[in-house]
Amino acid sequence: MAGYLNLLLRLAIWFLLTADLSWANILIGVTVAILLPRGVSNPGTLKDWLRTLGEVVVAIPQAYAEAFEIMLRPHRYEVVTVDRAKPRRSPSLIFLDIFLITFTPKTIVQRYREQGWYEVHRIQRRPTQ
Amino acid sequence: MTAVLMAMIAALLIPMVEAFQDEDIWQRMLAFASIATKTSVMILVVSVLRDDWMIGMVGVLILSVGNAALMLLAHIIRRLSEVMEEY
Amino acid sequence: MINILSYVCIVIGLVFWFWGTWPLLGSRSVLFKLHSLSVADTLGSMAIVVGLLLRIPHEWPLLVLGLISLAIWNTVLGYVLAYCSTQEDS
Repeated sequence: MAGYLNLLLRLAIWFLLTADLSWANILIGVTVAILLPRGVSNPGTLKDWLRTLGEVVVAIPQAYAEAFEIMLRPHRYEVVTVDRAKPRRSPSLIFLDIFLITFTPKTIVQRYREQGWYEVHRIQRRPTQ
Repeated sequence: MTAVLMAMIAALLIPMVEAFQDEDIWQRMLAFASIATKTSVMILVVSVLRDDWMIGMVGVLILSVGNAALMLLAHIIRRLSEVMEEY
Repeated sequence: MINILSYVCIVIGLVFWFWGTWPLLGSRSVLFKLHSLSVADTLGSMAIVVGLLLRIPHEWPLLVLGLISLAIWNTVLGYVLAYCSTQEDS
């Protein structure tokens, strides 16, 4: 199922880039999107994809909220925590997870460990003991 | 709109000063990343200001090619510093 | 009305730019500066582009593409810089 999402992503980029909905252009876009090789061995389930994409949509207002928060109240202290990744994630879902964490201004993924852990760098208002 | 552009140029000066004064390579990389994004957004603003969409096209192209070069450079610097430590 | 809204977006973006870029001059760690730069360069620039989008809605496909690539590239660059600037401690 996730193969369709891949196709959809390519088509979306193509139509945004060309901004042209004539038949010839649609034909070229679909042909190129199908012909381009895709090397997905373990695409993950559609449900995981939809949930993660939903989280991306939620992350945008959340990022702005966090931005205003750290502007109004200074966060002076830095801390590195180790978070657990969700189980059974395909590489592209891990990429989206890292994107989500790094996109919000308070947290940045520093390193991804093979065993399924993220090292997350975050800023706080109070020092941790 | 012109005032917006002036403010943007003023904001652009901050990372430039930083890139000149700081010796640490990672602080400089941060400054360069900031300069790259700010200039490409400025290109978009100029295109709206002059109502010339060819300039805007260039800005969007730069944005979509992105900071790939800076990412490669970051990896090279990291490898280099690892190699230098070994000797 | 839309004009005012677009100016509001652009001004918010500019405020983010100045607030987030200013810490670059200080002497904090690279990662701390990266946090404030992600406010400035990702969120601030996105606000500015949305402001432009409100002004010229007929060019929406290109501006939306710019918006998406801005978010993705800046975030990934933040991750790559964070990864590369911290040494591995095994």
